[in-house]
Amino acid sequence: MLKATSSLGVIFFPAYDWAISSSHPEREERLLYTQDQFREEGLFDIEGISEHRPLRAKDQDILRTHFCFPSVDRICTESHRISAGGAIQAAKLVMEQKTRRAFALVRPPGHHAMKVVHGNRGFCNINIEAVMVEWIRERYGRKRIAIVDTDCHHGDGTQDVYWHDPDILFISIHQDGRTLYPGSGFPEENGGPRALGRTINIPLPPRTSDTGYLHALENVVLPILADFKPDLVINSAGQDNHYSDPITNMQFSAQGYARLNDLLKPDIAVLEGGYSIKGALPYVNLGICLAMAGCDYSAVREPDYHADLLREEPETLEYIKQLCGHLTDTYFHPQPGDFKKEGEYFIRERKIYYDTEGILEKQREALKDCDQCRGVRLIQTSSSHISTCLGIELPIDCCPACEQEGYDAFQRTDDDYIIVQILDQKNKQYRYRPGK
Amino acid sequence: MRIGIDIGGTHTDSVLIDGTRLIAAAKAPTNHDNLLESINQVLHIVLAGQDATRVETLNLSTTLSTNAIVTGNTDPVGVLVAGGPGIAVDTYRIGDHFHIIPGSLDHIGTETAPLDETILKEAIDACLTQGVKFFAVAAKFSPRNPASENRMREQLGERADFISTGHLVSGQLNFGRRIHTAYYNSAVWKTFRSFSTALAASLRGLTLQAEVNILKADGGTMPLTRALETPVQSIFSGPAASVMGIMATTQATSDLIMLDIGGTTTDIALFAGGQPLLEREGIAINNHPTLVRAIHVESIGIGGDSLLSVGKSGVRTGPHRLGPCLANGGPAATLMDACNVLGLAQLGDVSLSHDGLKALAADYGMDSRQLASEAVDAAVNAIAAKIEALIALVNSKPVYTIHEILEERDISPRKIIVIGGPASVFKGVLEDRLGMDVEVPTLYGVVNAIGAALTRTTSHLTLTADTAKGKVSAPMLGVFRSIPRSYSLDEAVEEARNLLANDLAQAGVSLPADEIQITQADSFNMVDGSYTSGRNIRVVAQVQPAVIARLNSDSAVDIQMAATR
Repeated sequence: MLKATSSLGVIFFPAYDWAISSSHPEREERLLYTQDQFREEGLFDIEGISEHRPLRAKDQDILRTHFCFPSVDRICTESHRISAGGAIQAAKLVMEQKTRRAFALVRPPGHHAMKVVHGNRGFCNINIEAVMVEWIRERYGRKRIAIVDTDCHHGDGTQDVYWHDPDILFISIHQDGRTLYPGSGFPEENGGPRALGRTINIPLPPRTSDTGYLHALENVVLPILADFKPDLVINSAGQDNHYSDPITNMQFSAQGYARLNDLLKPDIAVLEGGYSIKGALPYVNLGICLAMAGCDYSAVREPDYHADLLREEPETLEYIKQLCGHLTDTYFHPQPGDFKKEGEYFIRERKIYYDTEGILEKQREALKDCDQCRGVRLIQTSSSHISTCLGIELPIDCCPACEQEGYDAFQRTDDDYIIVQILDQKNKQYRYRPGK
Repeated sequence: MRIGIDIGGTHTDSVLIDGTRLIAAAKAPTNHDNLLESINQVLHIVLAGQDATRVETLNLSTTLSTNAIVTGNTDPVGVLVAGGPGIAVDTYRIGDHFHIIPGSLDHIGTETAPLDETILKEAIDACLTQGVKFFAVAAKFSPRNPASENRMREQLGERADFISTGHLVSGQLNFGRRIHTAYYNSAVWKTFRSFSTALAASLRGLTLQAEVNILKADGGTMPLTRALETPVQSIFSGPAASVMGIMATTQATSDLIMLDIGGTTTDIALFAGGQPLLEREGIAINNHPTLVRAIHVESIGIGGDSLLSVGKSGVRTGPHRLGPCLANGGPAATLMDACNVLGLAQLGDVSLSHDGLKALAADYGMDSRQLASEAVDAAVNAIAAKIEALIALVNSKPVYTIHEILEERDISPRKIIVIGGPASVFKGVLEDRLGMDVEVPTLYGVVNAIGAALTRTTSHLTLTADTAKGKVSAPMLGVFRSIPRSYSLDEAVEEARNLLANDLAQAGVSLPADEIQITQADSFNMVDGSYTSGRNIRVVAQVQPAVIARLNSDSAVDIQMAATR
């Protein structure tokens, strides 16, 4: 019988009773054939690979991660709580050393959900990796964590959640934003003033195949990880770089995905996108599981796989090599950004569009330029659906002055915000201002 | 009237039951070299003075196949498998005649590489040259498309004495388990057939005209004619007989735990709402997981004869057994001796237990009562830990819908039913340790045979339909046919019910339609591009294990022992 050389817990939760809509890519059928493949291959008969059910994320799990307006229940359904709970279960298995690694093979995904959420963006409501990371830090204290986002779309949500957090290294490898949703993820997006070089973007050209992708991994991601020395590596594991994916333009294979995980050696992987449900997911998921468990994956192959037809053009490979030559600099020698300042605050003003629900959010963020801590953060946000709300974040190392400023803003009675939420990482307080 | 026979490792038990009344019970030593002799002995006793022609049903739980496998007394099997990409087929290598035939299907049953006819021929010739007469054929994803398995079967043709075909052995997906199930089925086929021929002759001699059923590991029976096709289903039916015996002798309607305490081991089973829980996929044979459905029974190395020892961490009970307890002339102090010392039991020569424990205790500067009490605690704690782990496992089993996560009730047993030799001895200590009601049914001595007698036929069926491809399949029945695009979930459920009922009818079993349970009925909208191309329908139907009658509580009879040879 086969035996895992590194034990793997798989949280397989296909949510067979939930869809965004009956013909939406995020529908009940999505993981059906993956399950058929797992069953037929006897994945869970392999010694050291076990199957687990998800937990369910509670309000506090979500409120310590996101500013949810108008409320948690209006932002997420049970499906989102359970999907995030699947990621939490993965973390729990690994942190409690029940399994060496874990893979949350759950839906719906989360990596387009930003710090502030008003609704669904890019099929995502809450950021399930971020909810998991905050669950870990709540229980196990401050950790250095690397999140490597291997979904074909830029992980703009996760990037936003950790934009100012130097403890979290976020690396996204994706199809160039000039050619794909959400249109972001360029190398110069490099982290906020307090976390410069902790956000790394690797935009790959369309039709990148195994060689080009793994080149970026080996020449950019792995050297950066070797220097950052994270306590945990998380793979935000989208499967839409696959050559058969219907909504992207890459040429990655199941072998490529397996090799990626073999090299990256994530402690935890969390499923993100990937909508070639018959042609890719059964093989990619099998490849990822076998690679994470340290089993032989060399015979995992799609029936229609032809290396010669999928190989990238020489020019594409040349472009990737050129690009990667510069990208390690964004970590080792990041360029100080052009941060706008008003008084003692760094200011960001943005408009964010929620494609699934047609919500347009307007946001103004003020981060205190504090020399004692990372600085209190105040986010004013309104949308086409709701008038102005306020989110207040106190960082884990919050100084007394910033703490005072944060709570003053939270307890005011003379402002016009319809909802105010505090996210106090230092004292672990996550709540809304009681209604007037 | 019904007869139940349970052939166990040590004893062969039999009962004769009329309606809900126990008429006779018998025990004989099991003669492993000649099971028929043991069967005849008990039958003679229970049928003494009875009109044998009134017996309609004889249900038999036999260790025949299990023993053949455990002792390696099986026939060589030519195993022909077609795997293709994925986990290497060689992982599932079993037996001395394992041949991999190139050719593959994908997860929806589309052929992605043709079966290599040349290599198939060579493999068959190699097997036949070496005198192999029994075969197992299996292809990855054969429940989705049986063509390659059928082709291998066809090529073997009349040259094989018996062929087990993967998709007919189980319609469930799991290639490795399918290979091993088919292998064992062929490996025990000849042994089982010889036995059944001899059994039939022997029953005729007793003027028995009863229909004969064989007990399965899932607690149900199968008609003997079916057992001749799938003898592998008869393995490990012993624990299942105990479980069914509990159902037949107690008011088992709630969540509860069954303990069967034997000499060497204790078996633990769990009931949810009075229904015994099954293994998720199937039981393992010789460490090879199979698709043989079975009641989930956990075994722990603690029994009446478990050896007592004292180590750094204190007094230990089990898992070893050297022989019977001192009180029964055994070589070393056991759990039963500890029970004797504590006054929980009065088995055999109690003074031998006292002397033995005194000597052991003295070696470690202990008092013999203290040692005995710690030994019993150790045993009960180990059993309790195993029970708690089993409940936790069942309550955390994977589920795939939001509905199940939110609505499914946890199993929380409040009652334990204990059977087996030392059952009554442990009643009090188990009650104290687990804080649950402990019941020891009065008929425990032959409860297995009662379970065998009163259980009914079980069956199950997996049906899959793909309206985009226009196909429906029920692999175990060899049903693969075309359907119109309009084929619905309701039609699929109806078809699954009918197929299962008709198949049972063909085997001579008639069941009311409402006894067929639908355990899965899902219909997935399939989308190609951005339009709906069809529906993927999955239905699982089953007849779950159940007893046809509950025994009258006042129908106790003496168990007659067969004369020892």
